[in-house]
Amino acid sequence: MTGGHRRILVVEDDPETAGQLAEQLTTSGYRVDLASSGNEALSRGAASDYAVITIDRMLPDIDGITVMRQLRDDGIAAPFLIISALGEVDDKVRGLRAGGDDYLVKPFSFVELLARIEALGRRSDTVVKETILRVGDLAIDLMSRTASRRGKDIALLPREFQLLEYLVRNEGRVVSRAMLLQHVWDLHFDPSTNIIDVYVGRVRRKVDGQQAYPLIHTVRGAGYRLRAPG
Amino acid sequence: MPGTVSVLLAKTLTSSTFRLALIAIGTFGVIVSAIFSYVYFSTSSYVRSRWDRAIMTEYASLRSVYDRSGRDGLISLMQQRLADKSFAENVYILADPSLATLAGNLKAWPPTGTAAGGWTEFRAPKPVSTATSPPLLRAMFATLPQGDRLLVGRDISDLDSFTDQIKAAVISSVALIFVLAAVASILVTRRTVGRIESINATSRAIMQSGLDKRIPLRGTHDEWDRVAENLNQMLERIETLMGEIKQVGDNVAHDLRTPLTRMRGRLEKAYHGERAGEADQTLIGDTIADLDAVLRMFASITRIAQIETQARQHAFRTVNLVDIAGEVVELYDAAAEQDDTRLTVAGDREVKMTGDRDLIFDAIANLVDNAIKHGRAGGQVVVSCENIDGTPVVSVADDGPGIPAGEYEHVFKRFYRLERSRYAPGNGLGLSLVAAIARLHAARIEMLDNAPGLRLRLWFSPPES
Repeated sequence: MTGGHRRILVVEDDPETAGQLAEQLTTSGYRVDLASSGNEALSRGAASDYAVITIDRMLPDIDGITVMRQLRDDGIAAPFLIISALGEVDDKVRGLRAGGDDYLVKPFSFVELLARIEALGRRSDTVVKETILRVGDLAIDLMSRTASRRGKDIALLPREFQLLEYLVRNEGRVVSRAMLLQHVWDLHFDPSTNIIDVYVGRVRRKVDGQQAYPLIHTVRGAGYRLRAPG
Repeated sequence: MPGTVSVLLAKTLTSSTFRLALIAIGTFGVIVSAIFSYVYFSTSSYVRSRWDRAIMTEYASLRSVYDRSGRDGLISLMQQRLADKSFAENVYILADPSLATLAGNLKAWPPTGTAAGGWTEFRAPKPVSTATSPPLLRAMFATLPQGDRLLVGRDISDLDSFTDQIKAAVISSVALIFVLAAVASILVTRRTVGRIESINATSRAIMQSGLDKRIPLRGTHDEWDRVAENLNQMLERIETLMGEIKQVGDNVAHDLRTPLTRMRGRLEKAYHGERAGEADQTLIGDTIADLDAVLRMFASITRIAQIETQARQHAFRTVNLVDIAGEVVELYDAAAEQDDTRLTVAGDREVKMTGDRDLIFDAIANLVDNAIKHGRAGGQVVVSCENIDGTPVVSVADDGPGIPAGEYEHVFKRFYRLERSRYAPGNGLGLSLVAAIARLHAARIEMLDNAPGLRLRLWFSPPES
């Protein structure tokens, strides 16, 4: 990762929220620029190279979606994370269709935001070409859709494999329940039960059961992280 | 009550129906007056022209005598005429060029001006007449070849009184029509105003005291009764919704207060207590979890509200119910396994319908979630998709304790929870979400006894071709 790719532009008109985001993102090792209006976002976004741009849907002057389109037209390739108080699925779909890369509904937890920024930042600078991904003694074959630990096959259902693949691709990063639902099941709603936990629990039993060390870790209040020890 | 009567009268007079009636009466009156005037004028001019012809004929016969036998012959003929009773209505006068009377039954040549001939109307005493006022005469006069002047006319008082009678008849019948129309329109308007007034009175009563008032029906099954019926049904629906909102409000207050009270207590304790790293961590973690529960509840409520405003039908596509049910079962497979429940899909292999994939997923997911939660541990839950006579149907059945038949209606209310599941996880919004999604898709929900257990069926509409 280059220095430029740890830079984030936060477009947010509420000064307190913007301050909180800037502080927390700085603590997490990012350099943060703030823009409090659509026009400011346009000039800042075009001036520097950002790893991720987070943008509020409702800005005092120009709509966030319009700002995003404008910057895309100007050739800005940085991924956009749309943050909005409009939570309906339609709004999400509209935002994503307009060129947003991810969507987060207010209020959100900071770990959720950080997880999504990490995932977006990684997406923008690495393209995985290999067909076999490895984490510790786990290997997953993207072609044959199989997983194994220490050479021993793990029997997974197709959806379970997809879930594991998503965790592996985000190795070392926190993945929230909503992200799993969105990327593994293509669902944009909150089932309001612990269904994801139960599902991850089953995958975890298959992957981590009777192994030397666990790979899938629960991150309290945030989600899951796949990581090899050491 | 004179006050009420005058208010009603004032309302009658200012009502739009009455104004419409006035316009109708006015138009009708103008047409009737025009027709009657035409009748009047054509009748009177017909009578007048017949009399004019009679005068002209008489003049012509006198003139021919004058032409044949000269002034003396004419005088003798005139004297004959004057003696004849059948010519009593006629007036004659023959005068020399200096207008001195030579013969006739008029005292003097009437004031005809300098004209040599033509028609004239005048009043003059007739020698034979017994009338107190001089009658109206119409006459034709001309200057004869030797300069003598002859006037032949007749009494047209009869014609005058005849046309006067017609005129009176026309005017009185027009007046009568106006009066009748006015009375009729007041009666009709009064009736309309009365019905509208009863609707208005109910509306005012509702604004003042509440939604329990209804517009009285007269049992006439006319359009007014239908309007009243529809308004009453609308009020019924509004009352139900208001009741639901109140119920929801109460439940929200109750369900939100619990976590909020916990949070407050925790924070208060921490505020007054010593800072302790480990304990603070737990406290903050628990508080965030409670806060998330509160936010989730809000999200569910707004989501139901958004679905109920029906703004999503543009997202409708043709979907295969079986695919969606399969995905739901796949997602809940692990949860079912945890409860030792067997979760399976049954029925047809393809059931096409028109709808919103995400919402249908959500609805089936909620039903499956409920079935697993409230079913029997170690039992089974079956999701079946069928095409029954072209209607796509999805049903979710469990073999748990089921729901008492008396509670069927209530379970779709927001926050409704059976007493025995009061402490099970969930916020009681699941089935009202299902109900909202069903309403958006114009689907019918059917609850059946699965003996044992509950079978919930959603009857969707056939796909649009």
